[in-house]
Amino acid sequence: MGQGSILIIDDDPDITEAMSVVLKNRGYDVRSAQDGSEGMTRLKEAKPDLIILDVMMRTSQEGFEFSRELKHNKKFKDIPILMLTGVKQKTGLDFKTSAGDEDWLPVDEFLDKPVKPDVLLAKVEDLLSRQ
Amino acid sequence: MENLLKSPSLIQRAYWLIKLRWVAIATLAIATFVSQRFMGVSLAASALYILSAILVVYNLVLYGLLTYWTQAGTPPAAIRRVEWIVTLQISADLLILATILHFSGGIENPFSFFFVFHMIIASILRPKLQSYLQATLATFLFGGLLILEGGGVIPHHSLIGFAGHELYRNGTFVFGFLFVFVVTLYLVVYMTTTIGEQLRLQQESLERANAQLEEKDQVKNEYVLRVTHDIKGHLAAVQSCLDIVLDETVGPLNEKQKDMVGRAHRRTTKCMEFVTALLRLTRMKLTGQLEMERFSLRKTLLGALALVQNRAANKSIVLRHEIDPTIDMITGEAVLIEETITNVLLNAVKYTPAGGRVNIVAKQDDSFVQVRITDTGIGIPPADLTRIFEEFYRADNARATERDGTGLGLAFARQVVQRHGGRIWAENNPTGGSTFTLTLPVDPAATGAS
Repeated sequence: MGQGSILIIDDDPDITEAMSVVLKNRGYDVRSAQDGSEGMTRLKEAKPDLIILDVMMRTSQEGFEFSRELKHNKKFKDIPILMLTGVKQKTGLDFKTSAGDEDWLPVDEFLDKPVKPDVLLAKVEDLLSRQ
Repeated sequence: MENLLKSPSLIQRAYWLIKLRWVAIATLAIATFVSQRFMGVSLAASALYILSAILVVYNLVLYGLLTYWTQAGTPPAAIRRVEWIVTLQISADLLILATILHFSGGIENPFSFFFVFHMIIASILRPKLQSYLQATLATFLFGGLLILEGGGVIPHHSLIGFAGHELYRNGTFVFGFLFVFVVTLYLVVYMTTTIGEQLRLQQESLERANAQLEEKDQVKNEYVLRVTHDIKGHLAAVQSCLDIVLDETVGPLNEKQKDMVGRAHRRTTKCMEFVTALLRLTRMKLTGQLEMERFSLRKTLLGALALVQNRAANKSIVLRHEIDPTIDMITGEAVLIEETITNVLLNAVKYTPAGGRVNIVAKQDDSFVQVRITDTGIGIPPADLTRIFEEFYRADNARATERDGTGLGLAFARQVVQRHGGRIWAENNPTGGSTFTLTLPVDPAATGAS
């Protein structure tokens, strides 16, 4: 069984629910938020061990901006971020190369949507164990 | 015809004029020689030979200037200079032709017809007004020549032995000749520029239509991108929900429930594959910048073979490869090329009956690598050999063999290969089955790929 608290920030309630079920089933403490500002509120309520962040919410950049904001925040900059994306495919945005310096996009891992339950669990476990 | 001129074709035509002039110079020299030596015509041969020599120098200078000005591409300034060269060339040619005629019989020399050529050239290459001005210049030059010779102001060099040498002093004949001459020149300019104008308008409307088509294609691609992106979002949610039902995370299923949810899941997976393929193809068409890197094509080919090895073995298909020892590093986007080659190989395995053969042969010649994938499969109906690379198109026999398929795999392959500056095509083998050949430049930058 997994241990730790996870905050999912994604504007798709169905994907959020499906991931919550998978993660809760494994024993994680899961909370969710629908956008960046709600995410910040949840963060301030209690600091999670991991954030799962959707790259495209209201705007195509909201996920990026949110992750940057976090890394400039002393309190939250050490929380690992798993970024979900529907566009990491080639010829779209290529995050890692366009990111360049770590300051620009300090995301720890990327996963393409839809994420298979076993892939999600493996990645979450991996990120949490790095702590 | 200005439009035709604002392109590199003006420069090509300027060179073409220079080539024509070499022919004219040769004709002048030979005609002088032949008329004098074999026809016994009396003419100012030495003056004509000197004129030929001057023409040679003049043509060489023009060639040099043109080459010098157009070496660094075709910036607007260079185009303007070439336009000037063409204009001056035509005027200078008229002057030279008049001079030649002066030394070779004036009105008696039928080469005066050649003024017509210069009018045609002017009308094709320069704007209407300039062409009429050139016709006027020709009128003044030739008319002046005939009148001055007739009036005895300048000497007349008769073509004795060819034409009646008193013609030039016959006023009625001179003016009659000049009248027809002038009418001919202006009519030629009128006809040629009118036809040219029509052609130019046609060309402009074609260019406009083409630009509109490109714009519509762009709008279509953006539309497809948006729609598929939205569909993909919904599909991803459907799949995520079905995933946890199917793996019984949210509670046990009975056999029938499992079967039905499994069917739904498989269909959403197929749909997802299709949407993802369409999304990638459309994105590539809209933005499509390649991330070029040096990579080992040999490793890529072996990697692609390893990926399809299992599937081939399951159908008892023999998979062979023959990779030229010289093939190794090339420049391109490795991921895309590996995917393209894997796709073509997978197709070969998919459409080859059990027990068949699939061969991949890679060769390098000069700056290109050629990869041929040959199978003993169902082949391709001849009418479909090029159509299978179109989006959504699937040949009937392929559809009959394999119901599922996006119809986008080969469209994507073609897009990838063309972006690299290569080609891909399909052929049927005489002994059955088909062969897909793709060529890739070793270094796209060197071969000028986009």
